[in-house]
Amino acid sequence: MSETLLYLIQQLINGLTIGSTYALIAIGYTMVYGIIGMINFAHGEVYMIGSYISFIVIAGLLGMGMVSLPLILFIALVIAVLIASTYGWTVERVAYRPLRGTNRLIPLISAIGMSIFLQNYVVLSQGSRDVALPPMISGGWTFGDPSLFEVSFSYMQLFIWVATFITMLGLTLFISRSRMGRACRACSEDLGMTNLLGVDTNRVIAMTFIIGAALAAIAGLLLSLYYGVVNPFIGFMAGLKAFTAAVLGGIGSIPGAVLGGLILGVTEALTAAYFPSEYKDVVAFSLLILILLFRPSGLLGKPEVEKV
Amino acid sequence: MGKLYNAIFSAGIALVLACLMIGVKLDTDGTTLKVHGASPEQWSWIIGGIALVFLSQLFADQIDAAFGKIPKPNLSNLIPEGDKMVRLKPWLLAGVFVCMVIWPFLVSRGSVDLATLALIYIMLGLGLNIVVGLAGLLDLGYVAFYAVGAYTYALLSQYFGLSFWVCLPISAGMAALFGFLLGFPVLRLRGDYLAIVTLGFGEIIRILLNNWTAVTGGPNGISGIDKPSLFGLEFSRRPSEGGTTFHEFFGIDYSSTYKVIFLYLIAVVLVAFVIYVINRLMRMPIGRAWEALREDEIACRSLGLNRTAIKLSAFTIGASTAGFAGSFFAARQGFISPESFTFIESAIILAIVVLGGMGSQIGIILAAIVMTILPELAREFSEYRMLLFGLTMVLMMRWRPQGLVPMKRPVLELK
Amino acid sequence: MKKFTRTLLSVGTALCLYGAAAQADTIKIGLAGPATGPVAQYGDMQKIGVLAAIEQINKAGGVNGMLLEGVIYDDACDPKQAVAVANKIVNDGILHVVGHLCSSSTEPASDIYEEEGVLMITAASTSPSITEKGYQMIFRTIGLDSMQGPFAAQYIINSVKPKNMAIIHDKQQYGEGLATAVKNEVEKAGIKPVMFEGVTPGDKDFSALIAKLKRNNVDFVYYGGYHPELGLILRQANAKGLDARFMGPEGVGNPDISKIAGEASEGLLVTLPQSFEKDPANQALVKAITDKGEDPSGPFVFPAYSAIEVMTAAMTATGTTDTEKLADYIRANTFKTTTGELSFNEKGDLKEFSFVVYDWHADGTKTPVQ
Repeated sequence: MSETLLYLIQQLINGLTIGSTYALIAIGYTMVYGIIGMINFAHGEVYMIGSYISFIVIAGLLGMGMVSLPLILFIALVIAVLIASTYGWTVERVAYRPLRGTNRLIPLISAIGMSIFLQNYVVLSQGSRDVALPPMISGGWTFGDPSLFEVSFSYMQLFIWVATFITMLGLTLFISRSRMGRACRACSEDLGMTNLLGVDTNRVIAMTFIIGAALAAIAGLLLSLYYGVVNPFIGFMAGLKAFTAAVLGGIGSIPGAVLGGLILGVTEALTAAYFPSEYKDVVAFSLLILILLFRPSGLLGKPEVEKV
Repeated sequence: MGKLYNAIFSAGIALVLACLMIGVKLDTDGTTLKVHGASPEQWSWIIGGIALVFLSQLFADQIDAAFGKIPKPNLSNLIPEGDKMVRLKPWLLAGVFVCMVIWPFLVSRGSVDLATLALIYIMLGLGLNIVVGLAGLLDLGYVAFYAVGAYTYALLSQYFGLSFWVCLPISAGMAALFGFLLGFPVLRLRGDYLAIVTLGFGEIIRILLNNWTAVTGGPNGISGIDKPSLFGLEFSRRPSEGGTTFHEFFGIDYSSTYKVIFLYLIAVVLVAFVIYVINRLMRMPIGRAWEALREDEIACRSLGLNRTAIKLSAFTIGASTAGFAGSFFAARQGFISPESFTFIESAIILAIVVLGGMGSQIGIILAAIVMTILPELAREFSEYRMLLFGLTMVLMMRWRPQGLVPMKRPVLELK
Repeated sequence: MKKFTRTLLSVGTALCLYGAAAQADTIKIGLAGPATGPVAQYGDMQKIGVLAAIEQINKAGGVNGMLLEGVIYDDACDPKQAVAVANKIVNDGILHVVGHLCSSSTEPASDIYEEEGVLMITAASTSPSITEKGYQMIFRTIGLDSMQGPFAAQYIINSVKPKNMAIIHDKQQYGEGLATAVKNEVEKAGIKPVMFEGVTPGDKDFSALIAKLKRNNVDFVYYGGYHPELGLILRQANAKGLDARFMGPEGVGNPDISKIAGEASEGLLVTLPQSFEKDPANQALVKAITDKGEDPSGPFVFPAYSAIEVMTAAMTATGTTDTEKLADYIRANTFKTTTGELSFNEKGDLKEFSFVVYDWHADGTKTPVQ
């Protein structure tokens, strides 16, 4: 294999890894949007809180002398998902539910306020410094010709891919098979009608927030293991990127969010690979604008039918 | 009984939320990460907070009733109606204007400076109001046009030595041009897709300004931007070459307060101008078309209105107002760099428009003042400042979802 | 009742008088910097230094019979708020300021201080452009990027002699300024960097950048910026098997980088001001700071401390608080401070400020390179 090809493969691996985490966060945006048509700006902060909780649990368990890595990760996952879901649920209850039925910009502002609040809440309780964990899962495979270019694919990257895949599979099954999933789909078709048919839509909406937050917490755990660093400001940028991914794929569509996340991640990696890396956000946003010009509802979004 | 259950449940949730965030603190000991428990003082705060949640849930009805007794201020009722308004209006406006002009001479320099900042946000709020409030287009990248205006003045002043007054219309024009160029392709997108595209555009402009070091100075920004002059009179302590200063011309002692007051007065005039223009526009067919388009797009098209032209005009005029505000901001700061034009700025301007009651100019002016002064007042709370700011945004939305002064449309009724 | 009112009035008047008297006995010193926001930790360093200095000086009886009082202003490192803060400081009648921290806040604020005759000493803003406008009232007790960049470059040219050098920066005033200075200097010596590019501050993923470094066979990287990004770059470079040595400025030189990068921070080169907290002469002070539960090792703690020392030494020598006289005195004289003997040039910068190249270790300690 030539050196150029090996380099491209390496960058694709990098892009898909970061893309899958965008996808996990993007699903939270897209589900909430699909059901109540609202951009949940505080979602990025829930991801940040999920990362912090994972850190706290991992550090706590290590401090107690636990050594079994799978067990630590499993406990961290369960607690992070539970707590982040509680946050997601509370945010919905406090900041959005009282505003249901108002102009759709009102919850948006409330969400921005919530996002500022949560960020500073974590700054005040945990400090604004980076906290870091030593690498938990290290090592990986390398292939390619050492004299040309050596491609590395770490276990951690594989772990992220697998975890993302399993999560997506679980979510798809949940949405398509379970009773609650059916209710979710019904709500996204027509909220008012679903309500009339006797489904407790408030519960469904709360559930959506809980699922979104749980996925964000999974992303938080994966990324905090991958990068090993967390600070209270990571939520904002991650939220922005994930939101972009959701829109790119067609907001409201779950496969769209995944596709959008992967495309965004790969675009960023390739831009950084072949151009000065300071332009990667410019290219990512320009790509978004271009795609929307040709497909105004995103890649997999349903074209809006105008009705009188 | 349900009440008690509810209260216990809420307190339980609050306990869970607080325990793993405030109750434990991550800390590094050497290079290993440790978890510490919170201090007894923090625990007492947590317990206090939980007790508060418990009680407020338990007595939710009583509290609601108590709050219900406090009359909600209905600011829009304070504005007289009909004929009385028509007669009073010119006097009222003149009175307000005179107060605005006299006021800075009576108060401290810091307050005048703060008022100038508030006036910049009023301009921005009014401009974004055209796009969001009147035309109903969600713009999350409004700060891009603000940046374009600021950089236009800064660059023209630095490279060509043009004065503030020459650059003011040019800045507005440049911002309008950018608005036009962005608006032309993207305005056919629906609501939230438009939102993200404008957001992306705002980020693109900021990153480009940051990377184009050769022209914009990149992250170093542009410093030493000239302050505006009054018919060629400068407000500095020492005149520049061939210039005359204000205090020498009038033979009074130098005081730097003059400059602050002068900037404030320029801002007052600019805001008055913007309000005047927007009010005229709103009464013109184009302004009616904006609102009509917001209310029902399909009906508008059926009536033969050109959808793209109307949206584009709103977008362009909104952008030019931001350009105005931007060039004034550059003049007030004397230094600009890309970090003044981040997404959070767009979000705050949008919050001003929504909090003011979309479409309502008086509401937006009030909201801009509130949003500028609130963080300053909260300085007393030092590190709790932004926490309270975020909380206030949430509470304000709950308290008055329709905005401080909801917009009132002129209504004609057949009797 | 009448009597009661009269008593109340007289007590009130007495209190007012007492207040006014107390007022005259303190010199208020404004401390402007970020107390909130992402760089608040650097603001803390400045605060620790200033408050420690004020405490020490007050303990020794104050200046000219007056006590010092620190008043903290938060600008969150936002240029817009910095202007508001500067105006508020002028408004509050404060004539002596230590701050601001970020160069982008210091620049617009120093314009106002200069106009208003407020004496400002920054202990942390290193951008050369701040003092280029010929200010009277603006000083700094820290070295400039334009001193540190060439110093690092000389070390690279003479000792490292890299084959394929890359320069990375964080697209901020501080980082890019340093990176450009290093680039210009090494190019003069005939070393052509194979890469010169920026990363986004706050970014977490540098895998694409590291693959690029690997592809270009880079064996030495100079990084202009702060520790959070470099820490992650080091960590990820280590995991990806990039075999290159890194070097950074004082913005990366704090123990947090070893927390982030762990083993990967071993062997990092850092240019730092001399570590004043290691100076035997400062041990009493270091103890006083650690006793309060604060950290004396931040790079801005001692420059902030010496800013107060310079200010008060000038006040004692001139016997006034008049800022024009103080500014003239500071320009003309040499001051003995905890950061060594300081003297200022016409622009208000330190005449000399020495840097040292340190070898960083994975446990967050450092040793000077011979």
